[in-house]
Amino acid sequence: MSRVYNWQLGREMSYPYDGKYPERQFAFVFNINRCIACQSCTMACKSTWTFSKGQEHMWWANVETKPYGGYPQFWDVKILDLLNQTNPDGQRWTGSVSDNGKSPYGQFSGQTIFEAGEKTLQPQSARVLGYLPSDEEWNSPNIYEDNPVGKRGIRDKLHETGEQLPVHNTWFFYLARICNHCTYPACLGACPRKAIYKRPEDGIVLLDQSECRGYRKCVEACPYKKTMYRGNTRVSEKCVACYPRVEGTDPESEGQPMETRCMAACIGQIRMQGLVRLNSDGTWAEDRQHPLYYLVHVAKVALPLYPQFGTSPNGYYIPPRWVPREYLRQMFGPGVDRAIERYNNPDRELLAVLQLFRRSNRIIFRYEIKEGPLVYEGTYRGRPVRIYNDTVIAFGKNGKELFRTTVEEPLHVRPAKHQNSI
Amino acid sequence: MPYADPDPTDPTLLVGVEVPAEEDSDLEMAYAFAEEFARLGFSQQRLLSLFRQSFYAGAYRALQRLGEEKISSIIKETLQVWDNFRFVIHDSPERFDVSLDSLRPLEPHHQQHEDGP
Ligand code: SF4
Ligand code: SF4
Ligand code: SF4
Repeated sequence: MSRVYNWQLGREMSYPYDGKYPERQFAFVFNINRCIACQSCTMACKSTWTFSKGQEHMWWANVETKPYGGYPQFWDVKILDLLNQTNPDGQRWTGSVSDNGKSPYGQFSGQTIFEAGEKTLQPQSARVLGYLPSDEEWNSPNIYEDNPVGKRGIRDKLHETGEQLPVHNTWFFYLARICNHCTYPACLGACPRKAIYKRPEDGIVLLDQSECRGYRKCVEACPYKKTMYRGNTRVSEKCVACYPRVEGTDPESEGQPMETRCMAACIGQIRMQGLVRLNSDGTWAEDRQHPLYYLVHVAKVALPLYPQFGTSPNGYYIPPRWVPREYLRQMFGPGVDRAIERYNNPDRELLAVLQLFRRSNRIIFRYEIKEGPLVYEGTYRGRPVRIYNDTVIAFGKNGKELFRTTVEEPLHVRPAKHQNSI
Repeated sequence: MPYADPDPTDPTLLVGVEVPAEEDSDLEMAYAFAEEFARLGFSQQRLLSLFRQSFYAGAYRALQRLGEEKISSIIKETLQVWDNFRFVIHDSPERFDVSLDSLRPLEPHHQQHEDGP
Protein backbone atom coordinates (compact mmCIF):
# COMPACT_ATOMS: atom_id res chain seq x y z
CA MET A 1 0.00 0.00 0.00
CA SER A 2 1.07 3.58 -0.71
CA ARG A 3 0.69 6.58 1.55
CA VAL A 4 -1.57 9.31 0.23
CA TYR A 5 -2.93 12.52 1.75
CA ASN A 6 -6.67 12.60 2.43
CA TRP A 7 -7.66 16.18 3.34
CA GLN A 8 -11.16 15.09 4.41
CA LEU A 9 -9.49 13.02 7.16
CA GLY A 10 -6.83 15.64 7.84
CA ARG A 11 -4.08 13.05 7.54
CA GLU A 12 -2.21 10.56 5.39
CA MET A 13 -3.68 7.13 4.85
CA SER A 14 -2.94 3.86 3.04
CA TYR A 15 -4.21 3.30 -0.49
CA PRO A 16 -3.41 0.46 -2.92
CA TYR A 17 -1.91 2.88 -5.50
CA ASP A 18 0.07 6.11 -5.48
CA GLY A 19 -2.00 9.27 -5.46
CA LYS A 20 -2.69 10.57 -8.98
CA TYR A 21 -4.83 13.66 -9.30
CA PRO A 22 -6.75 14.91 -12.29
CA GLU A 23 -6.44 18.36 -13.80
CA ARG A 24 -10.03 19.09 -12.75
CA GLN A 25 -12.21 16.92 -10.53
CA PHE A 26 -15.89 16.15 -11.12
CA ALA A 27 -17.70 17.21 -7.93
CA PHE A 28 -21.21 18.13 -6.83
CA VAL A 29 -23.20 19.66 -3.99
CA PHE A 30 -26.67 18.44 -3.04
CA ASN A 31 -28.78 20.58 -0.71
CA ILE A 32 -30.74 17.87 1.10
CA ASN A 33 -32.97 20.38 2.83
CA ARG A 34 -34.96 20.61 -0.37
CA CYS A 35 -35.06 17.06 -1.75
CA ILE A 36 -38.66 15.88 -2.10
CA ALA A 37 -37.86 12.33 -3.25
CA CYS A 38 -39.65 12.87 -6.53
CA GLN A 39 -37.11 10.46 -8.09
CA SER A 40 -36.86 12.53 -11.27
CA CYS A 41 -33.06 12.25 -11.00
CA THR A 42 -33.28 8.49 -10.65
CA MET A 43 -35.48 8.17 -13.70
CA ALA A 44 -33.43 10.64 -15.76
CA CYS A 45 -30.41 8.39 -15.26
CA LYS A 46 -32.35 5.24 -15.91
CA SER A 47 -33.94 6.47 -19.11
CA THR A 48 -30.55 7.64 -20.37
CA TRP A 49 -28.20 4.84 -19.39
CA THR A 50 -29.69 1.71 -17.82
CA PHE A 51 -33.00 1.07 -19.55
CA SER A 52 -32.08 -2.12 -21.40
CA LYS A 53 -32.51 -5.82 -20.60
CA GLY A 54 -31.35 -6.64 -17.07
CA GLN A 55 -31.93 -3.09 -15.92
CA GLU A 56 -34.07 -3.95 -12.89
CA HIS A 57 -31.30 -3.64 -10.31
CA MET A 58 -29.29 -0.94 -12.02
CA TRP A 59 -29.91 2.25 -10.07
CA TRP A 60 -26.81 4.33 -10.69
CA ALA A 61 -28.74 7.24 -9.24
CA ASN A 62 -31.09 6.61 -6.33
CA VAL A 63 -32.88 8.49 -3.57
CA GLU A 64 -33.45 6.79 -0.22
CA THR A 65 -35.25 7.72 3.00
CA LYS A 66 -32.93 8.08 5.95
CA PRO A 67 -32.72 6.65 8.55
CA TYR A 68 -35.23 4.03 7.37
CA GLY A 69 -33.83 2.84 4.12
CA GLY A 70 -30.96 2.52 1.73
CA TYR A 71 -30.11 1.03 -1.63
CA PRO A 72 -28.97 -1.66 -1.44
CA GLN A 73 -30.73 -2.11 1.88
CA PHE A 74 -28.63 -1.32 4.96
CA TRP A 75 -25.52 -0.42 2.91
CA ASP A 76 -24.25 2.22 5.31
CA VAL A 77 -25.19 0.45 8.52
CA LYS A 78 -23.40 -2.68 7.32
CA ILE A 79 -20.12 -1.03 6.41
CA LEU A 80 -20.15 1.11 9.56
CA ASP A 81 -20.70 -2.05 11.55
CA LEU A 82 -17.86 -3.90 9.80
CA LEU A 83 -15.50 -1.02 10.52
CA ASN A 84 -16.60 -0.94 14.12
CA GLN A 85 -15.96 -4.67 14.48
CA THR A 86 -12.45 -4.21 13.12
CA ASN A 87 -11.71 -1.24 15.33
CA PRO A 88 -14.11 -1.40 18.29
CA ASP A 89 -14.84 2.04 19.70
CA GLY A 90 -11.94 3.49 17.76
CA GLN A 91 -13.82 5.14 14.89
CA ARG A 92 -13.46 8.67 16.19
CA TRP A 93 -12.48 12.15 15.14
CA THR A 94 -9.95 14.20 17.07
CA GLY A 95 -8.75 17.76 16.77
CA SER A 96 -11.18 20.48 15.86
CA VAL A 97 -12.82 21.97 12.82
CA SER A 98 -10.77 24.78 11.35
CA ASP A 99 -10.26 26.97 8.32
CA ASN A 100 -7.26 24.93 7.23
CA GLY A 101 -8.08 23.50 3.79
CA LYS A 102 -5.81 20.52 4.51
CA SER A 103 -7.80 19.44 7.58
CA PRO A 104 -11.07 21.37 7.76
CA TYR A 105 -12.80 18.73 9.91
CA GLY A 106 -9.93 17.90 12.30
CA GLN A 107 -8.38 14.41 12.10
CA PHE A 108 -10.02 11.05 11.75
CA SER A 109 -8.19 8.77 14.17
CA GLY A 110 -10.07 5.60 13.27
CA GLN A 111 -9.55 3.24 10.37
CA THR A 112 -10.62 3.69 6.77
CA ILE A 113 -11.84 0.76 4.68
CA PHE A 114 -8.30 0.50 3.23
CA GLU A 115 -6.60 0.49 6.64
CA ALA A 116 -9.11 -1.92 8.14
CA GLY A 117 -8.61 -4.16 5.09
CA GLU A 118 -4.85 -4.08 5.51
CA LYS A 119 -5.21 -5.09 9.13
CA THR A 120 -7.73 -7.87 8.82
CA LEU A 121 -8.04 -9.30 5.32
CA GLN A 122 -6.34 -12.41 4.00
CA PRO A 123 -4.97 -13.01 1.40
CA GLN A 124 -3.04 -9.83 0.67
CA SER A 125 -4.82 -9.49 -2.66
CA ALA A 126 -7.98 -8.54 -0.78
CA ARG A 127 -7.24 -4.88 -0.35
CA VAL A 128 -10.41 -3.22 0.87
CA LEU A 129 -12.81 -4.02 3.70
CA GLY A 130 -16.29 -4.49 2.28
CA TYR A 131 -19.10 -6.94 1.68
CA LEU A 132 -21.30 -8.18 -1.14
CA PRO A 133 -24.94 -7.25 -0.65
CA SER A 134 -27.39 -10.12 -1.02
CA ASP A 135 -29.82 -10.33 -3.95
CA GLU A 136 -32.64 -9.51 -1.57
CA GLU A 137 -30.92 -6.28 -0.58
CA TRP A 138 -30.56 -5.24 -4.23
CA ASN A 139 -34.02 -6.32 -5.27
CA SER A 140 -36.36 -3.58 -4.18
CA PRO A 141 -35.23 0.01 -4.03
CA ASN A 142 -37.15 2.05 -1.44
CA ILE A 143 -38.99 -0.95 -0.03
CA TYR A 144 -40.56 -0.17 3.36
CA GLU A 145 -39.02 3.28 3.39
CA ASP A 146 -42.01 5.58 3.22
CA ASN A 147 -44.83 3.06 3.09
CA PRO A 148 -46.08 0.61 5.63
CA VAL A 149 -45.27 -3.06 5.35
CA GLY A 150 -47.76 -5.69 4.29
CA LYS A 151 -49.63 -7.93 6.67
CA ARG A 152 -47.47 -10.20 8.73
CA GLY A 153 -46.42 -13.33 6.87
CA ILE A 154 -48.13 -12.40 3.60
CA ARG A 155 -45.78 -11.44 0.82
CA ASP A 156 -46.44 -9.09 -2.09
CA LYS A 157 -49.76 -7.84 -0.79
CA LEU A 158 -50.39 -4.53 0.90
CA HIS A 159 -52.46 -4.45 4.03
CA GLU A 160 -56.06 -3.58 3.20
CA THR A 161 -56.40 -1.07 6.00
CA GLY A 162 -52.92 0.26 5.56
CA GLU A 163 -53.61 3.44 7.45
CA GLN A 164 -53.37 1.50 10.70
CA LEU A 165 -49.88 0.31 9.95
CA PRO A 166 -46.85 2.00 11.38
CA VAL A 167 -45.58 5.16 9.75
CA HIS A 168 -42.58 7.20 10.71
CA ASN A 169 -43.83 9.53 13.39
CA THR A 170 -40.54 11.29 13.64
CA TRP A 171 -37.82 12.97 11.58
CA PHE A 172 -36.55 11.60 8.32
CA PHE A 173 -34.96 12.97 5.19
CA TYR A 174 -34.20 11.99 1.62
CA LEU A 175 -30.65 11.19 0.62
CA ALA A 176 -30.01 11.41 -3.11
CA ARG A 177 -26.95 9.47 -4.21
CA ILE A 178 -24.81 8.81 -7.25
CA CYS A 179 -21.24 7.54 -7.55
CA ASN A 180 -18.93 9.99 -5.76
CA HIS A 181 -16.14 9.73 -8.35
CA CYS A 182 -13.86 9.41 -5.36
CA THR A 183 -10.34 10.79 -5.25
CA TYR A 184 -9.25 7.40 -3.84
CA PRO A 185 -11.83 5.06 -5.38
CA ALA A 186 -12.25 1.80 -3.51
CA CYS A 187 -13.72 0.17 -6.61
CA LEU A 188 -10.58 0.99 -8.58
CA GLY A 189 -8.30 -0.09 -5.74
CA ALA A 190 -9.99 -3.47 -5.44
CA CYS A 191 -10.22 -4.49 -9.11
CA PRO A 192 -7.70 -7.25 -9.83
CA ARG A 193 -7.95 -6.64 -13.59
CA LYS A 194 -7.40 -2.88 -13.44
CA ALA A 195 -10.63 -2.49 -15.39
CA ILE A 196 -11.57 0.65 -13.46
CA TYR A 197 -9.76 3.91 -14.13
CA LYS A 198 -9.95 7.56 -13.18
CA ARG A 199 -9.74 10.00 -16.05
CA PRO A 200 -6.86 12.49 -15.81
CA GLU A 201 -8.88 15.31 -17.35
CA ASP A 202 -11.93 15.33 -15.05
CA GLY A 203 -11.46 12.65 -12.38
CA ILE A 204 -14.50 10.70 -13.59
CA VAL A 205 -14.21 7.04 -12.54
CA LEU A 206 -15.11 4.64 -15.35
CA LEU A 207 -15.34 0.88 -15.60
CA ASP A 208 -14.07 -0.69 -18.82
CA GLN A 209 -16.54 -3.50 -19.43
CA SER A 210 -14.31 -5.13 -22.06
CA GLU A 211 -11.73 -5.72 -19.28
CA CYS A 212 -14.26 -6.71 -16.58
CA ARG A 213 -14.73 -10.43 -15.88
CA GLY A 214 -17.48 -9.96 -13.30
CA TYR A 215 -15.44 -10.82 -10.18
CA ARG A 216 -17.46 -8.20 -8.29
CA LYS A 217 -14.47 -7.04 -6.26
CA CYS A 218 -15.55 -3.46 -6.94
CA VAL A 219 -19.10 -4.19 -5.78
CA GLU A 220 -17.69 -5.63 -2.58
CA ALA A 221 -15.26 -2.75 -2.03
CA CYS A 222 -17.27 0.37 -2.85
CA PRO A 223 -18.51 1.50 0.57
CA TYR A 224 -21.32 3.46 -1.11
CA LYS A 225 -22.34 0.40 -3.16
CA LYS A 226 -22.30 2.35 -6.38
CA THR A 227 -20.89 -0.31 -8.65
CA MET A 228 -23.46 -2.90 -9.66
CA TYR A 229 -23.23 -6.33 -11.21
CA ARG A 230 -25.62 -7.04 -14.06
CA GLY A 231 -26.52 -10.72 -14.27
CA ASN A 232 -27.35 -10.90 -17.97
CA THR A 233 -24.18 -9.14 -19.18
CA ARG A 234 -22.04 -10.81 -16.48
CA VAL A 235 -20.04 -7.66 -15.98
CA SER A 236 -20.25 -4.81 -13.50
CA GLU A 237 -21.28 -1.27 -14.28
CA LYS A 238 -21.48 2.12 -12.65
CA CYS A 239 -22.39 5.78 -13.08
CA VAL A 240 -20.43 7.31 -15.96
CA ALA A 241 -20.99 10.89 -14.74
CA CYS A 242 -22.73 11.51 -18.08
CA TYR A 243 -19.24 12.16 -19.43
CA PRO A 244 -20.28 13.28 -22.93
CA ARG A 245 -22.20 16.15 -21.33
CA VAL A 246 -19.37 17.04 -18.94
CA GLU A 247 -16.88 16.96 -21.83
CA GLY A 248 -19.12 19.10 -23.99
CA THR A 249 -19.20 16.41 -26.68
CA ASP A 250 -22.91 15.66 -26.30
CA PRO A 251 -24.62 17.08 -29.41
CA GLU A 252 -26.87 19.21 -27.23
CA SER A 253 -23.95 20.81 -25.42
CA GLU A 254 -22.48 22.65 -28.41
CA GLY A 255 -18.97 22.29 -27.07
CA GLN A 256 -19.67 23.77 -23.62
CA PRO A 257 -19.60 21.51 -20.53
CA MET A 258 -23.08 20.60 -19.38
CA GLU A 259 -24.26 19.25 -16.05
CA THR A 260 -25.26 15.58 -15.90
CA ARG A 261 -28.75 14.25 -16.57
CA CYS A 262 -29.58 13.63 -12.91
CA MET A 263 -28.51 17.18 -12.00
CA ALA A 264 -30.43 18.83 -14.83
CA ALA A 265 -33.62 16.90 -14.03
CA CYS A 266 -33.77 17.88 -10.35
CA ILE A 267 -37.21 19.20 -9.45
CA GLY A 268 -36.27 20.38 -5.97
CA GLN A 269 -33.37 22.36 -7.48
CA ILE A 270 -31.09 20.83 -4.90
CA ARG A 271 -28.14 19.98 -7.18
CA MET A 272 -25.12 21.78 -8.56
CA GLN A 273 -22.28 20.00 -10.31
CA GLY A 274 -18.94 21.31 -11.47
CA LEU A 275 -15.27 20.66 -12.13
CA VAL A 276 -12.86 21.83 -9.44
CA ARG A 277 -9.10 22.37 -9.61
CA LEU A 278 -6.85 20.24 -7.41
CA ASN A 279 -3.36 20.74 -5.97
CA SER A 280 -0.60 18.20 -6.47
CA ASP A 281 -1.51 16.47 -3.16
CA GLY A 282 -5.20 16.10 -3.97
CA THR A 283 -6.36 19.04 -1.83
CA TRP A 284 -8.55 21.63 -3.56
CA ALA A 285 -6.67 24.48 -5.22
CA GLU A 286 -7.89 27.88 -4.11
CA ASP A 287 -10.48 29.12 -6.59
CA ARG A 288 -12.37 31.73 -4.62
CA GLN A 289 -15.02 32.51 -7.21
CA HIS A 290 -15.87 28.88 -8.03
CA PRO A 291 -19.30 28.09 -6.53
CA LEU A 292 -18.33 24.58 -5.34
CA TYR A 293 -15.07 25.83 -3.84
CA TYR A 294 -17.07 28.51 -2.07
CA LEU A 295 -19.68 26.06 -0.66
CA VAL A 296 -17.14 23.43 0.45
CA HIS A 297 -14.11 25.48 1.50
CA VAL A 298 -15.23 29.04 2.22
CA ALA A 299 -18.78 28.88 3.58
CA LYS A 300 -18.17 25.22 4.52
CA VAL A 301 -21.87 24.43 4.36
CA ALA A 302 -21.40 21.38 2.11
CA LEU A 303 -19.84 18.23 3.58
CA PRO A 304 -18.62 14.89 2.19
CA LEU A 305 -20.79 11.79 2.70
CA TYR A 306 -19.21 9.41 5.25
CA PRO A 307 -15.70 10.86 4.87
CA GLN A 308 -14.44 8.31 7.42
CA PHE A 309 -14.64 5.55 4.80
CA GLY A 310 -11.49 7.11 3.33
CA THR A 311 -12.24 7.25 -0.40
CA SER A 312 -12.40 11.07 -0.39
CA PRO A 313 -15.79 11.20 -2.09
CA ASN A 314 -16.49 14.17 -4.35
CA GLY A 315 -20.21 14.38 -3.53
CA TYR A 316 -20.95 17.05 -0.91
CA TYR A 317 -24.17 17.63 0.99
CA ILE A 318 -25.72 20.58 2.75
CA PRO A 319 -27.05 18.63 5.76
CA PRO A 320 -30.77 18.64 6.61
CA ARG A 321 -31.10 21.07 9.46
CA TRP A 322 -33.88 19.35 11.43
CA VAL A 323 -32.10 16.02 11.93
CA PRO A 324 -30.46 15.06 15.26
CA ARG A 325 -26.85 16.14 15.24
CA GLU A 326 -25.42 12.80 16.38
CA TYR A 327 -26.82 11.12 13.31
CA LEU A 328 -25.56 13.87 11.02
CA ARG A 329 -22.08 13.85 12.59
CA GLN A 330 -21.81 10.16 11.86
CA MET A 331 -22.89 10.70 8.27
CA PHE A 332 -21.06 13.91 7.39
CA GLY A 333 -18.30 14.21 10.00
CA PRO A 334 -17.53 16.90 12.56
CA GLY A 335 -18.19 19.82 10.19
CA VAL A 336 -21.96 19.43 10.68
CA ASP A 337 -22.55 21.97 13.43
CA ARG A 338 -20.66 24.73 11.65
CA ALA A 339 -22.41 23.93 8.36
CA ILE A 340 -25.91 24.10 9.87
CA GLU A 341 -25.17 27.23 11.85
CA ARG A 342 -24.03 29.02 8.67
CA TYR A 343 -26.80 27.66 6.50
CA ASN A 344 -29.42 28.74 9.05
CA ASN A 345 -27.98 32.24 9.11
CA PRO A 346 -26.78 32.74 5.56
CA ASP A 347 -24.68 35.81 4.91
CA ARG A 348 -24.99 37.95 1.84
CA GLU A 349 -22.63 35.91 -0.31
CA LEU A 350 -24.11 32.54 0.68
CA LEU A 351 -27.62 33.71 -0.18
CA ALA A 352 -26.36 34.83 -3.56
CA VAL A 353 -24.49 31.59 -4.30
CA LEU A 354 -27.54 29.52 -3.32
CA GLN A 355 -29.32 31.30 -6.18
CA LEU A 356 -27.01 29.59 -8.65
CA PHE A 357 -28.54 26.14 -8.15
CA ARG A 358 -30.30 24.87 -11.28
CA ARG A 359 -30.58 28.15 -13.12
CA SER A 360 -28.76 26.65 -16.09
CA ASN A 361 -27.75 23.27 -17.43
CA ARG A 362 -24.26 24.57 -18.23
CA ILE A 363 -21.47 23.92 -15.76
CA ILE A 364 -20.60 27.09 -13.86
CA PHE A 365 -16.87 27.79 -13.61
CA ARG A 366 -16.97 31.16 -11.88
CA TYR A 367 -19.41 33.60 -10.31
CA GLU A 368 -19.32 37.28 -9.53
CA ILE A 369 -21.51 39.32 -7.24
CA LYS A 370 -22.42 42.95 -7.92
CA GLU A 371 -23.65 44.42 -4.68
CA GLY A 372 -26.93 46.30 -4.61
CA PRO A 373 -28.98 48.17 -1.99
CA LEU A 374 -30.66 46.66 1.06
CA VAL A 375 -34.21 45.70 0.09
CA TYR A 376 -35.46 44.04 3.25
CA GLU A 377 -34.59 44.06 6.91
CA GLY A 378 -36.49 42.14 9.56
CA THR A 379 -36.39 39.08 11.79
CA TYR A 380 -37.29 35.47 11.24
CA ARG A 381 -37.68 33.16 14.26
CA GLY A 382 -35.68 35.61 16.33
CA ARG A 383 -32.81 35.86 13.86
CA PRO A 384 -32.04 39.07 12.00
CA VAL A 385 -32.53 38.83 8.22
CA ARG A 386 -31.13 41.29 5.70
CA ILE A 387 -31.69 40.90 2.00
CA TYR A 388 -29.80 42.95 -0.57
CA ASN A 389 -30.56 43.41 -4.21
CA ASP A 390 -27.31 41.75 -5.22
CA THR A 391 -26.80 40.51 -8.74
CA VAL A 392 -25.02 37.18 -9.02
CA ILE A 393 -23.53 36.41 -12.42
CA ALA A 394 -22.48 32.92 -13.52
CA PHE A 395 -19.80 32.28 -16.14
CA GLY A 396 -19.13 29.15 -18.21
CA LYS A 397 -15.90 27.46 -19.24
CA ASN A 398 -15.31 29.87 -22.10
CA GLY A 399 -15.51 32.79 -19.67
CA LYS A 400 -18.81 33.98 -21.12
CA GLU A 401 -21.82 34.84 -18.99
CA LEU A 402 -24.42 32.08 -18.62
CA PHE A 403 -27.06 33.95 -16.64
CA ARG A 404 -27.54 36.40 -13.79
CA THR A 405 -30.06 36.57 -11.00
CA THR A 406 -31.29 39.70 -9.28
CA VAL A 407 -33.75 40.44 -6.50
CA GLU A 408 -36.91 42.31 -7.28
CA GLU A 409 -39.74 43.55 -5.19
CA PRO A 410 -42.96 41.94 -6.36
CA LEU A 411 -45.25 43.60 -8.80
CA HIS A 412 -48.88 43.41 -7.72
CA VAL A 413 -51.25 43.63 -10.67
CA ARG A 414 -54.79 44.74 -9.95
CA PRO A 415 -57.09 41.94 -11.12
CA ALA A 416 -59.36 42.72 -14.05
CA LYS A 417 -62.59 42.74 -12.02
CA HIS A 418 -61.26 45.58 -9.87
CA GLN A 419 -59.71 47.59 -12.70
CA ASN A 420 -62.22 50.45 -12.60
CA SER A 421 -63.22 50.24 -8.99
CA ILE A 422 -61.50 53.38 -7.72
CA MET B 1 -37.54 -9.99 8.85
CA PRO B 2 -39.51 -7.22 7.14
CA TYR B 3 -42.73 -9.16 7.53
CA ALA B 4 -42.58 -9.34 11.29
CA ASP B 5 -43.64 -6.57 13.65
CA PRO B 6 -41.04 -3.85 13.86
CA ASP B 7 -38.45 -4.62 16.46
CA PRO B 8 -37.23 -1.42 18.08
CA THR B 9 -33.94 -3.06 19.02
CA ASP B 10 -33.08 -4.08 15.47
CA PRO B 11 -30.58 -1.47 14.30
CA THR B 12 -31.01 -2.13 10.59
CA LEU B 13 -34.74 -2.27 10.17
CA LEU B 14 -36.43 0.84 11.44
CA VAL B 15 -39.79 0.61 9.75
CA GLY B 16 -42.46 2.06 11.97
CA VAL B 17 -40.02 2.59 14.79
CA GLU B 18 -39.67 5.97 16.42
CA VAL B 19 -36.05 6.97 16.25
CA PRO B 20 -35.21 9.11 19.26
CA ALA B 21 -35.35 12.73 18.22
CA GLU B 22 -34.98 16.09 19.81
CA GLU B 23 -38.27 17.57 20.88
CA ASP B 24 -39.82 19.75 18.19
CA SER B 25 -38.11 17.95 15.34
CA ASP B 26 -41.44 17.92 13.42
CA LEU B 27 -41.64 21.64 13.89
CA GLU B 28 -38.09 22.11 12.66
CA MET B 29 -38.84 19.92 9.66
CA ALA B 30 -41.93 21.96 8.81
CA TYR B 31 -40.08 25.28 9.14
CA ALA B 32 -37.25 24.00 6.97
CA PHE B 33 -39.59 22.92 4.13
CA ALA B 34 -41.56 26.16 4.30
CA GLU B 35 -38.45 28.31 4.21
CA GLU B 36 -36.66 26.35 1.50
CA PHE B 37 -39.54 26.58 -0.92
CA ALA B 38 -40.48 30.13 0.03
CA ARG B 39 -36.92 31.05 -0.95
CA LEU B 40 -37.62 29.48 -4.32
CA GLY B 41 -40.55 31.84 -4.76
CA PHE B 42 -43.47 29.56 -3.85
CA SER B 43 -46.71 31.35 -3.03
CA GLN B 44 -48.76 30.65 0.09
CA GLN B 45 -51.09 28.43 -1.90
CA ARG B 46 -48.30 26.41 -3.48
CA LEU B 47 -46.59 25.98 -0.13
CA LEU B 48 -49.75 24.68 1.48
CA SER B 49 -50.39 22.28 -1.37
CA LEU B 50 -46.86 20.98 -0.95
CA PHE B 51 -47.65 20.06 2.65
CA ARG B 52 -50.95 18.50 1.56
CA GLN B 53 -49.23 16.33 -1.05
CA SER B 54 -49.11 12.81 0.37
CA PHE B 55 -46.40 11.79 -2.11
CA TYR B 56 -44.10 14.32 -0.47
CA ALA B 57 -44.00 12.24 2.67
CA GLY B 58 -41.81 14.55 4.74
CA ALA B 59 -43.98 17.62 4.51
CA TYR B 60 -47.16 15.53 4.59
CA ARG B 61 -46.17 13.88 7.88
CA ALA B 62 -45.40 17.28 9.34
CA LEU B 63 -48.90 18.42 8.40
CA GLN B 64 -50.46 15.29 9.89
CA ARG B 65 -48.55 15.75 13.12
CA LEU B 66 -48.90 19.49 13.58
CA GLY B 67 -52.26 20.18 11.95
CA GLU B 68 -53.18 22.55 9.15
CA GLU B 69 -53.54 25.55 11.42
CA LYS B 70 -49.99 25.30 12.67
CA ILE B 71 -48.61 24.68 9.19
CA SER B 72 -50.50 27.70 7.86
CA SER B 73 -49.07 29.88 10.59
CA ILE B 74 -45.55 28.60 9.82
CA ILE B 75 -46.07 29.40 6.15
CA LYS B 76 -47.35 32.89 6.98
CA GLU B 77 -44.41 33.58 9.27
CA THR B 78 -41.99 32.47 6.57
CA LEU B 79 -43.65 34.48 3.84
CA GLN B 80 -43.50 37.60 5.99
CA VAL B 81 -39.82 37.58 5.07
CA TRP B 82 -39.61 35.85 1.72
CA ASP B 83 -42.67 37.30 0.08
CA ASN B 84 -41.20 40.78 0.06
CA PHE B 85 -39.17 40.20 -3.04
CA ARG B 86 -38.38 37.54 -5.57
CA PHE B 87 -35.34 36.33 -7.43
CA VAL B 88 -35.32 37.00 -11.15
CA ILE B 89 -33.15 35.14 -13.62
CA HIS B 90 -31.84 36.76 -16.76
CA ASP B 91 -30.38 34.37 -19.29
CA SER B 92 -27.39 35.63 -21.17
CA PRO B 93 -28.50 36.52 -24.73
CA GLU B 94 -26.03 34.02 -26.17
CA ARG B 95 -27.53 31.06 -24.39
CA PHE B 96 -29.05 28.13 -26.19
CA ASP B 97 -30.76 26.29 -23.30
CA VAL B 98 -34.46 26.42 -22.77
CA SER B 99 -34.95 29.19 -20.27
CA LEU B 100 -35.95 27.89 -16.85
CA ASP B 101 -38.45 30.70 -16.54
CA SER B 102 -40.30 29.34 -19.53
CA LEU B 103 -40.81 26.08 -17.63
CA ARG B 104 -42.38 27.69 -14.60
CA PRO B 105 -46.08 26.98 -13.99
CA LEU B 106 -48.44 29.52 -15.44
CA GLU B 107 -49.94 30.35 -12.08
CA PRO B 108 -49.88 34.14 -11.73
CA HIS B 109 -47.21 35.14 -9.26
CA HIS B 110 -48.35 36.19 -5.81
CA GLN B 111 -51.86 35.03 -6.43
CA GLN B 112 -52.68 35.49 -2.78
CA HIS B 113 -52.58 39.26 -3.27
CA GLU B 114 -55.31 39.19 -5.84
CA ASP B 115 -57.82 40.89 -3.66
CA GLY B 116 -55.32 42.95 -1.77
CA PRO B 117 -55.21 46.71 -1.72
S1 SF4 C 1 -18.44 5.88 -4.98
FE1 SF4 C 1 -17.81 3.75 -5.13
S2 SF4 C 1 -18.00 3.30 -7.31
FE2 SF4 C 1 -17.90 5.52 -7.11
S3 SF4 C 1 -15.71 6.02 -7.32
FE3 SF4 C 1 -16.18 5.84 -5.13
S4 SF4 C 1 -15.63 3.74 -4.64
FE4 SF4 C 1 -15.85 3.84 -6.89
S1 SF4 D 1 -24.19 11.43 -13.46
FE1 SF4 D 1 -25.25 10.56 -15.26
S2 SF4 D 1 -24.69 8.40 -15.19
FE2 SF4 D 1 -24.23 9.21 -13.16
S3 SF4 D 1 -26.07 8.87 -11.90
FE3 SF4 D 1 -26.27 10.92 -12.82
S4 SF4 D 1 -27.43 10.60 -14.72
FE4 SF4 D 1 -26.63 8.60 -14.06
S1 SF4 E 1 -34.86 15.13 -8.62
FE1 SF4 E 1 -33.96 16.39 -6.98
S2 SF4 E 1 -35.68 16.72 -5.55
FE2 SF4 E 1 -36.26 15.01 -6.88
S3 SF4 E 1 -35.56 13.19 -5.75
FE3 SF4 E 1 -33.89 13.76 -7.13
S4 SF4 E 1 -32.54 15.04 -5.88
FE4 SF4 E 1 -34.52 14.93 -4.82
